[in-house]
Amino acid sequence: MTTAAPWGRRDFLGAAALLALCVGVPVATVQLTPVADDEAPTDRQRTIMAEVADLVIPRTDTPGGRDVGAGDFAILALAHGLSGTRAPVVSGAITPAIATFLRPDGSLRHVDWLERTLDQGGRGDFMRRSLTERAEILAAIDAAAMARGAPWSPWVAIKGLILTGYYTTEAGGSQELRYQLVPGRFDSDLPLLPGDRAWSSDWTAVEFG
Amino acid sequence: MARENTQFDAIVVGSGITGGWAAKELTEAGLKVLMIERGRNIEHQKDYVTEEKAPWELPFRGVGDAERYARDYPVQMLNRHFNEFTEGHFVSDAENPYQTGDGTRFDWFRSYQLGGRSLTWGRQCYRWSDYDFDANRRDGQGTDWPIRYADLAPWYDEVEEFIGVSGAAEGLAQLPDGRFQPPMALNMVEQAMRERVLAAYPDRLITIGRTANLTVAKGEEGRGACQNRNICARGCSYGAYFSTQSSTLPAAMKTGRLTVETDAIVEKVDTDPRTGRATGVRWVNRNTGAREQATARMVFLNAGAFNSVQLLLNSRNEANPNGLANSSGVLGTHIMDHANAIAALAVVPGFEGRTTFGNRPTGIVVPRFRNLDQLDGDGFTRGYSFQGGALQGTWTRGKRQPGIGAAFKNELRSPGMWTMVFVTFAESVPRASNRLALSNKTDRHGIPQLEVTFAHGKEELAALADAKREAGAMMAAAGAQVIMGFDQPNNGGTSIHEMGGARMGTDPATSVLNKWSQSHDVPNLFVTDGAQMSSSACQNPSLTYMALTARACDHAVSLLRSGIL
Repeated sequence: MTTAAPWGRRDFLGAAALLALCVGVPVATVQLTPVADDEAPTDRQRTIMAEVADLVIPRTDTPGGRDVGAGDFAILALAHGLSGTRAPVVSGAITPAIATFLRPDGSLRHVDWLERTLDQGGRGDFMRRSLTERAEILAAIDAAAMARGAPWSPWVAIKGLILTGYYTTEAGGSQELRYQLVPGRFDSDLPLLPGDRAWSSDWTAVEFG
Repeated sequence: MARENTQFDAIVVGSGITGGWAAKELTEAGLKVLMIERGRNIEHQKDYVTEEKAPWELPFRGVGDAERYARDYPVQMLNRHFNEFTEGHFVSDAENPYQTGDGTRFDWFRSYQLGGRSLTWGRQCYRWSDYDFDANRRDGQGTDWPIRYADLAPWYDEVEEFIGVSGAAEGLAQLPDGRFQPPMALNMVEQAMRERVLAAYPDRLITIGRTANLTVAKGEEGRGACQNRNICARGCSYGAYFSTQSSTLPAAMKTGRLTVETDAIVEKVDTDPRTGRATGVRWVNRNTGAREQATARMVFLNAGAFNSVQLLLNSRNEANPNGLANSSGVLGTHIMDHANAIAALAVVPGFEGRTTFGNRPTGIVVPRFRNLDQLDGDGFTRGYSFQGGALQGTWTRGKRQPGIGAAFKNELRSPGMWTMVFVTFAESVPRASNRLALSNKTDRHGIPQLEVTFAHGKEELAALADAKREAGAMMAAAGAQVIMGFDQPNNGGTSIHEMGGARMGTDPATSVLNKWSQSHDVPNLFVTDGAQMSSSACQNPSLTYMALTARACDHAVSLLRSGIL
């Protein structure tokens, strides 16, 4: 694995298609709109994001984050500013660890930040830690970021986009959860039975729930 | 399109909710009509290209490319119906600029296409009452409406029956019942909240939204019943919600008397300097830049409230230096948009073992309860109502929750907690200072842009403050736990109920239109979209626009037949 050569746009797209072939997931799940050359991830960053996506949503009886390319989606989404991630970081939230990865427009290179933060948590190469250690490192970052009253953390947006990248795939949306485009009726009161899954096609709940 | 050398009986500018209605009513009355639309053609069913897509079939999974949206759709992207599925049904802000006055934040949501905003509207249909038509007279703000509920009631009947409005009759004076199709159901949480709120506040009712989604098919018109998908703004091939395409356009086309011109931005209404009457309109083709014109015996403006005003202002000429139909000088003034805010968001415990099936395309409404027979508002004399509903969370709650791994994934597998929201829509008081004017900046065709100057006033702020207090109290009384609530309004325009600017009134010295939506100055000119509104009530206004349009068409046809026009 190399961290030297930055990915060009064409390379990134090509790799995405190759990835689709290798892991056997539908091309649609990793169909990537171009990212600007200076936003293209390194090999290592793609590996890390795939790993992180899988730590957040691991493979169980349904595919996991790595299986569906949730890491690549998060990279694409971050490059295009989904969830406000291309907005300038508010000045009060700029710590030295954040400042290192700010773009000239004041927005944060989230993937670069996460890569550094994970390596720091691992006291070296995050990817060389054991699976258990990697999970512990990420869980610590998550707990610190998601705690009530926690200071702003880039992890919140990254995590959210990983979840989007998972539950909006066919596997995440229709195997892990339920998806039905044409319900055909509305039942206003039903018992929720053990094992009943949430709906990924309840658009109001997706937006506001 | 065959319009050269054609003498039309009427030209309708705009093809949205009211333009479609004008085309239908006028053609069915036997008139030869040209309907002109500034945007592209959208063919029913065939052109709803994302309707059946799943998120995984779109590059940005339905969320959309935020970078491109920030560049091309900085305003439209704020619309809750705007996303990767629906973006083709909204204008590019970059290509369709407008200006705002000092201190104004106004988000103008637009859909330039055949069908206009009828493809993307919220479909809520509420009659106004005499509390609303009497509002200006009662507190002296704005000009008195020249009509009352009785004038409009039969036209509400006609419109509701044709478009199909599902709703529950509740017998409320402030929100008159209509000719409803069977109502959609409250879910079990909303039903319980209705009973609990009513027990604590007998004058406050939670009822199902009255929505232009069919619960019973209208087979003779080729419209199917709602499938409870709740993806209306993508376009609905079932024709289950009212749009120009599903409803009024086929009716008008069936007469054989409708000509449709798309991609045509009308820039002026032409007049005969000798008689002062409208003779037709001229437009620019948005694709080629070619200028064309057509003539007719009368002109209906249905371009959307702000664009109809823009057209009148831009039709200024030697005899009308301040704009056509503007001898009063009030053209462009007294624009309104409901002040909105989330009044209360609450968790509703006790329903953890219950769920629903299907995606109902409407929420609930709490009709106005303030300033009815008693002036009981603290600092405001108008009304407000709540819209909202109860929903059960899904996977997106994980974005706010700590946790990773299999246990986290398993937790998100189940539906989440039930929450209920009340969103305030407060009546917007008509004020001369809230106004439209022509900017000295032009668009790419050289047409002056609109400049919007708008601010909510003390009355709206007082209403929102009262609404927040009362919503919180109602939720608490019903056993719900309030998480948040707001009393500061979102930007002007965000209710997407912008209206006024060519108000109706009795006195030609203080109003633009008479009680028939007809220009005081130009007798064969009618404005029947939101521009005609003299006050805003707190209900969604589209049903009233449609009823006023049908009424105005009937009157115009009678004038034409009697030789007066």
